[in-house]
Amino acid sequence: MLDVALVSLIQDMSEKAGVDGTIQYWQRVGENLARRIGKEAYMGWPSFNVALREGRTGYSIEGDVIPLTDLAITDVDGDVVGYIYALKQCVFVPTILRVRYSVGELPRADRAVAEEYNNSVHDIAVCNFCVIHEKFREEVAKNITIAGQQLESLLLATRGFTGETKISERNLKKLGINPEHVRSLLRNYECVYAIMMKGVKLKEA
Amino acid sequence: MAAEPAHKFLESNPFVDVATHLFLEDIADKQGASGLNNYLMSLATNLAKSMPEEEYDTWDEFLDALKEGNSILTAFEDVFMPTKNCVVTRRSPFERGWQEYVKRVGSFSRIHEEVAEYYNSAVKPTAINSLHIIHQTFRAAAADRIAVGGKRVKYAQIATVWTDGQKKIVPDEWLPVLLEKAGISRTQLNMLLRNNADVWLLYTE
Repeated sequence: MLDVALVSLIQDMSEKAGVDGTIQYWQRVGENLARRIGKEAYMGWPSFNVALREGRTGYSIEGDVIPLTDLAITDVDGDVVGYIYALKQCVFVPTILRVRYSVGELPRADRAVAEEYNNSVHDIAVCNFCVIHEKFREEVAKNITIAGQQLESLLLATRGFTGETKISERNLKKLGINPEHVRSLLRNYECVYAIMMKGVKLKEA
Repeated sequence: MAAEPAHKFLESNPFVDVATHLFLEDIADKQGASGLNNYLMSLATNLAKSMPEEEYDTWDEFLDALKEGNSILTAFEDVFMPTKNCVVTRRSPFERGWQEYVKRVGSFSRIHEEVAEYYNSAVKPTAINSLHIIHQTFRAAAADRIAVGGKRVKYAQIATVWTDGQKKIVPDEWLPVLLEKAGISRTQLNMLLRNNADVWLLYTE
């Protein structure tokens, strides 16, 4: 019920604080949530990936996060410095369906917030909740170390409830990944992101 | 038997629930308990107003809709009715979100109880935490959108039990009147409170 109530206030909040105000608010919520979840440390990527599969990391609040261990990210020396991860279902989809079948439809502000975020922050949002989610992942990564090194998270691709897809050219370019590789992942996943060691030198695309 | 409404099969994602709790805590940081109370009440009222109005010819027809989850009043909760006016909620729709919060974030922030204390002194003494403010305000606003035989439905909370076992029963001076309208005795109320989440009353004048 709380999730449906939250959706009902998006319209009101966007009218009072503006769509950009809602974005700032949502980003703060994502940041606060990550901060409250706390710090984690792992010996190496295998232990982090096992922890993720078993639902023991800060990211596990998203549900079943799938480490795509066949898609490793390597640095200039060929060492593994990260992996691609994916969610079968966007965390907001159950709420969208619950709103659909209890209230009737999503408020217009959902789309307006996503569009403003795409124009002003990062062209990756397929719903308003992507704003909280992307910030949350970025901040959680700062609280995790693997072999003593801090992580960073990059959102790569999203697929919305109505089938709309978004692929982050900016982040894919940074990782040197072909957009077509990620596009095919969207057939099976609704949210694809990378977790990697912060500050590493990657191979040129 | 009528099919169960589609949204009742769906659970929200824990991420959305926990993020919403932190969003409410953020409001309390800025506006204090009274500000959060106003926010919660307005949130619940807006949610009810966003749902369609209902009309029923007879009380029995209304009861069927309630039991089957087809009324907005039971859109988020499973209920049974020991009498024609007494409604019992088996599990709080907020229970799972709270469990996810204590699992992922830690102890429930004290502000959720402080705002309930404010509500109990300023509005009516029936809440244990912030979530009851949303729930009870929603029920009152939703009941006001329902007419049975041309008369508006009225709602009153009789008792609340939280997931940890804490109970809140209306003051002794209110109880006899409410129990009489509900058609249950004090002993029956205590029996219902052992393994249910809420006991409430619906009636017309």
